Order: sequence, then structure tokens, then C-alpha cells
Amino acid sequence: MEFYTYVNIFEQKGLEYLLLLSFLALFIFLVKYLSGTGKNAPVPGEKSSTAARARKR
Amino acid sequence: MNNTAVATSEFSRVFRFVLQELKPRGKWLTPFNVISIPVILAGLVILYFRFVYGLGSVTNLNQYYPLGIWIGFDVVTGVALAGGAYVITFVVYVMRMEKYHSIVRVTVLNGLLAYIFYAGALTLDLGRPWHIINPVIGNSFGYNSVLFLVSWHFLLYMITMAVEFSPVVAEWAKLEKVRKFLTRLTLGAVIFGITLSILHQSGLGALFLMAKPKIHPLWYSEFIPILFFVSSIYAGLSMIVFEGTISHKVFKNLIGGHDGHQYEEIILGLAKGAAITMFVYYFFQALLFVHEKRWELITDFWGYWYLLEVIGLVLIPCCMFAYAVRHRKIGLIKVASVLALLGIVLNRLNVTVIAFRWYDVSKYYPSWEEIVVTLMVVFTEIWVFRWIVTRMPVFEKK
Repeated sequence: MEFYTYVNIFEQKGLEYLLLLSFLALFIFLVKYLSGTGKNAPVPGEKSSTAARARKR
Repeated sequence: MNNTAVATSEFSRVFRFVLQELKPRGKWLTPFNVISIPVILAGLVILYFRFVYGLGSVTNLNQYYPLGIWIGFDVVTGVALAGGAYVITFVVYVMRMEKYHSIVRVTVLNGLLAYIFYAGALTLDLGRPWHIINPVIGNSFGYNSVLFLVSWHFLLYMITMAVEFSPVVAEWAKLEKVRKFLTRLTLGAVIFGITLSILHQSGLGALFLMAKPKIHPLWYSEFIPILFFVSSIYAGLSMIVFEGTISHKVFKNLIGGHDGHQYEEIILGLAKGAAITMFVYYFFQALLFVHEKRWELITDFWGYWYLLEVIGLVLIPCCMFAYAVRHRKIGLIKVASVLALLGIVLNRLNVTVIAFRWYDVSKYYPSWEEIVVTLMVVFTEIWVFRWIVTRMPVFEKK
């Protein structure tokens, strides 16, 4: 006869809960990341990253 | 002049105008024409044999492999790639993000043509194509069948997109009163269209729920409708980026209402949406991977094939989109969109053809006739698209 055990992470779907929590944390990080601008990114309106390189120099 | 006389003269004016517009324009001897015309002609000959002598005469389909690339690529993949229409109309007409207004017409046109040609390709694959009318006229209704829902939705969505695009046709035919009336229908049509799209994009996935023993467990899941729906969003967005890139090169003399900066902003916005949706899709795949203990299945060829699809063509393009948005790299977005599209094509073909009856020794491979007809459908759609955009006000004018 098989017993249900609370310490088995698969039976209590613990791994799935952990994955869900990590998704929520990562999702917030992703949205924040996408809303920001990278260090070397060209200013909106600039044609290409060449301008950003020139600005850096 | 009485009303009848006015209507008659207006009708004859539109008729003469359409006849005039049907005449070909531009050069005939282009690389695209040289390749596409023989393929279309060959496809028509093959279709003659298909309808006269049956499916078996030109395809490798049989009782064990009823779904070939006509369904797997044309219908299932084509409909996913047409998802851009409902996403963009939702963003513009419901969310009121005017930034994307300049691409609405071309996206809706692409969606409409994709449904007409790719969903229309369904008739090629039916053993008795004249039965396609059955779900509509009420002959042998299958109320409980997912196919009943999908067939009705395809029909209604094609009509809805035709309504969404109709103001462009009225503008082209210089029917100002008709255009004003049709424009008033747009918002209602958009909301109806979004509802239909969500249901039939997932419905296409639900079609495969009954094939549980035949689809490899790495691709089969009871959540396949949700996966199909979520992936159709980023498929549509990637397709808009891809088509936009080609259109900007091929039809550069027609495009010019928005400057380069505005175009970049649109591409960046689409890439942002694609990155977020791909991340959600990847999470669903990861959750299913854990829930169904799929790690037991990834040590053989099918496992590597699955990892190629999920990591190589979902996670990597997702990261590329995110990085490119952050650093405003338009070129990288274009590469990521191609990878994402390949991922969608591979996923849909895996579910319908490649991982279908994966245990069989004698596998299905498409015949050359099937490939030619598939190319014919794609080329014909491009021909019609080109005819429309060179005549109707689809792109913003300079």
C-alpha cells in the first residue's frame, strides 16, 4: 500500500509551487528590465548604435 | 435624376474602376514572378489530379497519417502566424495605443488573406470537400465536436476581418458614404474578432486532445489549447516584425507616413510584447515539464528535439527580444522574430506531423506534390497581397 508523505516534494507538488513563485519574481524583473534602457543603447530617435558609441567616446 | 439612376451610374463607375485596376502594373520579369508563376501553375495541375483522382493520387496520406503538411503547415501553422491581426486590433482599438495605428490595415489584410488561403487550404485536405458546408447548413451537426467550433469560428472570423478591412476597400473605390458606415462597424467587429480568435486559436489545440495515444508525451498535454493560444500571440507579433521588414524593403515607395524613428518604436513595442508572451509560454512549458515528470523522456532523440524547440526556439529568442529591446537593437529583433517563427512552425509540425505516431517504423513524409501545393498557397497569397497593397490605401501615404 502506498502512503502519501508530506516530505515528498513531487507528491505535494512543491516543485511546481517553487516554479510558480520564481516565475512571479522573474516576471517582475523582466518587465522592469524591458522598461529600462541599457547603458550603451542609443537615445530614442538616433539612427543606430553608432551614435551611442560616438557619444561614449 | 431619381435614386435608381444615381445608384446605377455609381455602380457602373465602380465596375469600370475595378476593371481598370485589374490590369497588371509594373515589371513582369522579377525574380519573385519567375519563381512563383511556375510553382502556381504546377500546383494547379496537381490540384486537378487531387480533385479528380482523390487524395491518394498526390499525397502520402493514409488511414494512419490523416494529417499531412496541408493541415500541419497551411492550416495549423498558418492560423497561428495570422494571430497578429487580433493582437494589434486589440492593442489599437481596445487599449487605444495609437502608436500602432499605422500598421493596423496591413496587419488585418495579412490576417484576412492568411485565413482565406491557409484555412481555405483545409478544403484541399478533406476527402469529401463538398461536406465542408455541413457545419453551416446543419447537416450532421457535431455540437460536441471541437471541429464544429473551429469551422464556425473560421467562417465568422473571416467575415469579421473582411468587415474590419472593408473601409479600405470603400476608400479605394471612392465610396465615401459607404466608408463612413463601415468605419462605424469596426470596433464591434474588433471585439467580436478577438473573442473568436482566442477561442479558435485554442480550439485548434483542443483538436489534438483526442489524439493522446498518438502524440509523443513531450508534446501532448491537456493544456495544449492554452499553449496554442499563448504561442499564437508571440507568433503573430513576430510575424508582423518579419513581414514589416520585408514590406519596408519591397514596398518602400508606398510606405512613408511614419519616419524611421516611429517605425523603430513600433518594432521595439512589438518585441517587448513578444518577449513577455514568450516568457509566459516558456513558463507554462517548464511547469508542464515538472508536472508531467518529462525529465524521464529527454534522454533520447525526441528529448533533444523537444529541447531544441523549447530552449533553442523559445527561450533563446525570448532573451534576444528582451536584450534587443533594452539596448534598442532592431537587427537583433529581426533575427529573434525569425527564430520565434521557426519555433512556432516546428511546434505545430511536431504536434500534427513529426511527433504524431512517433513509435511507427514507417513514418509519413510529404510527397513533392504536397510541398508544391503548399508553396502554391503561400505564393498565391503573396500575389494577392501585392495586388491589394499596390492599389488600395493599405500603407500610410508619403
